[in-house]
Amino acid sequence: MSTALWLAVVVSALGTLLMRVVPFLWMQRRLNSDTGLNNMPQWLSILGPLMIAAVLGVSIVPVNPSAVSWTATVIGLSVTLLVWSRVRSLGWPVAAGVAVFGVVEVAALIW
Amino acid sequence: MSELTSHSPGRSALQGVREAIPLLGGYIPVALSFGLVATQAGFSTWEATAISALVYAGASQFLFVGMIATGAPLWLVVAMTLLINVRHVVYGPNLAALLPRSRHWPWLMHGLTDQVFALALTRLPQLPEAKRFSWFLGASLLAWGAWIIGTTVGATAGETLTARWPLLGEIMPFALPALFMTMVAPRFTNKRWAVAMGCTILAALCLTLVGWSNVAIPLAAACGALCFYTVKFETRRRTS
Repeated sequence: MSTALWLAVVVSALGTLLMRVVPFLWMQRRLNSDTGLNNMPQWLSILGPLMIAAVLGVSIVPVNPSAVSWTATVIGLSVTLLVWSRVRSLGWPVAAGVAVFGVVEVAALIW
Repeated sequence: MSELTSHSPGRSALQGVREAIPLLGGYIPVALSFGLVATQAGFSTWEATAISALVYAGASQFLFVGMIATGAPLWLVVAMTLLINVRHVVYGPNLAALLPRSRHWPWLMHGLTDQVFALALTRLPQLPEAKRFSWFLGASLLAWGAWIIGTTVGATAGETLTARWPLLGEIMPFALPALFMTMVAPRFTNKRWAVAMGCTILAALCLTLVGWSNVAIPLAAACGALCFYTVKFETRRRTS
């Protein structure tokens, strides 16, 4: 890689890091300070959970979209929800969802 | 008090590592793919690994090597990479109230990806304050380490691995939607949130399907926010 290309990598990395760290530090200093905010702005606290929902929407699309992978996705997510409603934790629902998704994919391949 | 003293930093970090394990199902296949794509675009294993360690932002890394391979001007490559990562700007402020002050944040925030943010925003409020710093350290370091190692393996043996276990690359990424589903599910008990969340998920899904995955997250979240405020307005009108 040339020096110019390394420089592009460093600038991209530094810019990305600043976008992650500066707003965090800015908000942390403003919260509970004499001149700043007492609570997080409402729009920001609404945007946070919605960003997670958006990440979910993006990740739902299967790696290789097909009738089988979409069916496996629907069944896998349903099982994830079902197990979550029973245990209300993160680990087991994910494990069950991935296992069922895998079983549907493999079963479709065999048949 | 006894509960507070039982929170050793090592134990809290291990809890973070354990709870971030589902993220690896999504990270490893994508990192393997990135390593493979980067070497095919002419980057060495060391260079691909360095990009993953330094930039650490999936979509923008693919764009970076893709644009370099097609001979795009470097200023445009950097501009597009940063533009894709602009969404990270809203992640930090959401976690600011949940994490204690520390001089280590300037380098630790390097680990604040989409997935780590989602996990942290869900789990941190449920943890005692004393555990949060170490938990974040454990979770983010595991994700970062997996991303780097995945890239190195992908760059050196990606072709062999994907040829030998083609289904693995399809099944493992399902851990991500499954994990995010468990994170958004608790909000569906509230009607207003359910409509906003549903609208966001649908918008992100549609935008990804039409090939706008790079802007899907901020655009879909904006749609959801609009929906959130609109639903409140309509409810008020009906009851008056």
